[in-house]
Amino acid sequence: MSTHGDTPPLLELRGVRKHFGGVKALDGVDFDLRAGEIHALLGENGAGKSTLIKVLGGIHRPDVGEIRMDGEPTELRDVAAADRAGIRLIHQETALAPNLSVAENIFLGREPTRLGFLNRRRMVTDAQRLRDDLGMPELGNVNALVGTLTVAQLQLVEIARALSSQARVLVLGEPTAALSESEATALHARLRRLREQGVGIIYISHRLEEIGRIADRVTVLRDGRSIGTQPAAGFDRTELVRWMVGRDIGHDYPRPPRKPGEVVLKLSDLHAPGVHGVRFELRSGEILGFAGLFGAGRTELAHALFGIEPATAGRIEVQGVPVTIGSPADALAAGIALVPEDRQREGLVTSQSVGFNLALPWAIEWNRGPFVNSRRRSQIIDRAVSGLGIRCANSEQPVLALSGGNQQKVVVGKWLERPPRVLILDEPTRGVDVGARAEMFALLHRLMDQGLAIILISSDLPEVLNLSHRLMLYRNGRILRELDAETATAEGVMAELTLP
Amino acid sequence: MMNIRRLLPLLLVWGGLLLMFQLWIAPVQAGRFVRPGNMLDLSQQVSVNAMLAFGMTLVILIGGIDLSVGAVTALAGVAAVAMIPRYGSGAAIVVGLAIGAGVGSINGALAAWTKMPPFIITLGTMMAARGAALQFNENQPLPVPLDAGLFVALGNERFFDWLPMQVALMLAVFAGLFVLLHRTRFGQHLFAIGGNREAARFTGIRVPRHDFLVYVLCGTLAGLAGIIQASQLFSAIPSGGINFELNAIAAVVVGGTSFTGGIGSMPGTLLGAIIIGTLDKGLNQAGVHYSWQSVIKGAVILAAVWFDVRRRFRKE
Repeated sequence: MSTHGDTPPLLELRGVRKHFGGVKALDGVDFDLRAGEIHALLGENGAGKSTLIKVLGGIHRPDVGEIRMDGEPTELRDVAAADRAGIRLIHQETALAPNLSVAENIFLGREPTRLGFLNRRRMVTDAQRLRDDLGMPELGNVNALVGTLTVAQLQLVEIARALSSQARVLVLGEPTAALSESEATALHARLRRLREQGVGIIYISHRLEEIGRIADRVTVLRDGRSIGTQPAAGFDRTELVRWMVGRDIGHDYPRPPRKPGEVVLKLSDLHAPGVHGVRFELRSGEILGFAGLFGAGRTELAHALFGIEPATAGRIEVQGVPVTIGSPADALAAGIALVPEDRQREGLVTSQSVGFNLALPWAIEWNRGPFVNSRRRSQIIDRAVSGLGIRCANSEQPVLALSGGNQQKVVVGKWLERPPRVLILDEPTRGVDVGARAEMFALLHRLMDQGLAIILISSDLPEVLNLSHRLMLYRNGRILRELDAETATAEGVMAELTLP
Repeated sequence: MMNIRRLLPLLLVWGGLLLMFQLWIAPVQAGRFVRPGNMLDLSQQVSVNAMLAFGMTLVILIGGIDLSVGAVTALAGVAAVAMIPRYGSGAAIVVGLAIGAGVGSINGALAAWTKMPPFIITLGTMMAARGAALQFNENQPLPVPLDAGLFVALGNERFFDWLPMQVALMLAVFAGLFVLLHRTRFGQHLFAIGGNREAARFTGIRVPRHDFLVYVLCGTLAGLAGIIQASQLFSAIPSGGINFELNAIAAVVVGGTSFTGGIGSMPGTLLGAIIIGTLDKGLNQAGVHYSWQSVIKGAVILAAVWFDVRRRFRKE
């Protein structure tokens, strides 16, 4: 390896900040990448990883901060500029056209031409040669349509695309999230070969166990900031975990006293898309937390319980009665409601008002045929608004005009006209300010006194630990272990979740 | 993507139609359905719709739509014919094409650089263009002066005494667009935009520019169609071109272009236009009442798309 003292790093970020509206996605990132290095970037959900990738790829421009390549300040003005600088992104949500072939996707934007016309033959032979040089026989026929490929093959196409012209920096976002063990190993071997050739690789993941195997150095991101960098060989696991998680657990919301009542929900060996045999009991007045890493499958469990991706095997019993949940209507009839992960896409009708959203699930109360009982409707809306303290000018206000916290109150509040028996909360505090969180949980506690049971899915470890009575460690669609949340620690949980 | 295999079913359908009409009509009318004279007639009738359909193919390919082509056909026709007496054929043709390009530019600019949906944009320009056309000659047909040599030739001349000029033009447009769509980078990028707009953007393709140009092209072809139509009929009808956009869309869709974007071909559209034209002509000659013709055409379109969608999704 070169003496790092004299050659400037291949890529350097200093004090990079990026905000979207009021949200600080990146709040001071310092980072450097050497040529011929695999540098891992570690961080929880919401730490700023995907924004950082987009900044490097020229998709977003930083508000503040400097980017240097080979010591020279570089402006990554747009995708083309980043491309010219030799920075290639391998996306998680693939950026490929499914209706075009492998060869066409590899050369998209730089198709070989002859006299101004597409040179298809050359495109195909070049793609085949690239496939063979990179050792990707799994790619198969380069004329196959990308829409027919497996996820692993899609990734190979993206890599081939990235390497089809001189690449200096390769940024991979969660590359092994959807790969099998053997596919991941093959990928790592490929990355090592690229490293030999002097390519700088930024490897973004939160799989701690991979870091030791593949990376040279590791940097931790948290809350949009780079916390620290360590050599990956013999890394200090505890310190890394502390860097990832450690945050002043200052916003404590009191954990409601445990008064568990009857069993309201019982799952026996439940199977569904992404759920592989889940079993647990939930009692009224109890909060059951689900902790897990990205891709653990907790949302899939929520979807199975709410009928979005119905169960294929196993039993669900609500208050002792077996129920079949084939659709959200079934779930609601059984007394199960969901506050979804993506509130704008799944929890709200964003084109409508606050009142519309709050009154929507209760249409049967105020809408018979063509007749609308406005008084009843207004009462329902007013009850929700005051019950949750939703801050809005009036209920006719477009729901998108509300702050994230108040939007979330609408998402939660619309179920509470007739409270369900089980409320599933999927990442309920994402993008919600502290005040709104406290108010939301205060209300939920009141409801729990009346018997509501809660399933809490959250990637915010301190939060899920603070709020839950019992904690399920979840991975790959299965429950690893159950812990008593009052005695567990964030570091302990994270360490256990990231064990190989 | 162009797929030769997808064209075979279309050819079979066309063959089937020809056969059906041949058997159906021969005993009823003197002369056969499938004879050179009749087929040439058919080709002339198909030309205008085919040209509109070629432009429409590109628009639908990138995930848009252009409802204004029928109105533009009428507007370009009347504006061009109105030019002839004082400025001659050449200027008339230029004006007709310019009007098509002009409306196309408005469609394209709005579609490319605002968030307005193409359906609404082209609905608006369709109404405006129609209104503009109706201004001419108090909504009375404008006759084409018979001494306007070049203009009259466009819709009536025959090469080598048999090949109608408008068919030759249609084939020329077909050839040009075939090369553009299937043999150039530009065309390749259109497929990418239609298949995954975000991905196309991420590879550095200038998506708005492509959007804009496609609508301009579609509009210009509508202008050309208007000129040819007026020439064929020896008059430009301000209230003409009704439902032309729907017929064009029908040809595009029957030809295998997907409404969700990213899949389509010029040969497919050509066959689609031929099939629709054959259906029209055959039913006409068989004496089927006009209203039934519409019903049958609608059924054929539904069937064509059904099979295409089923075939595509069975593969997945």
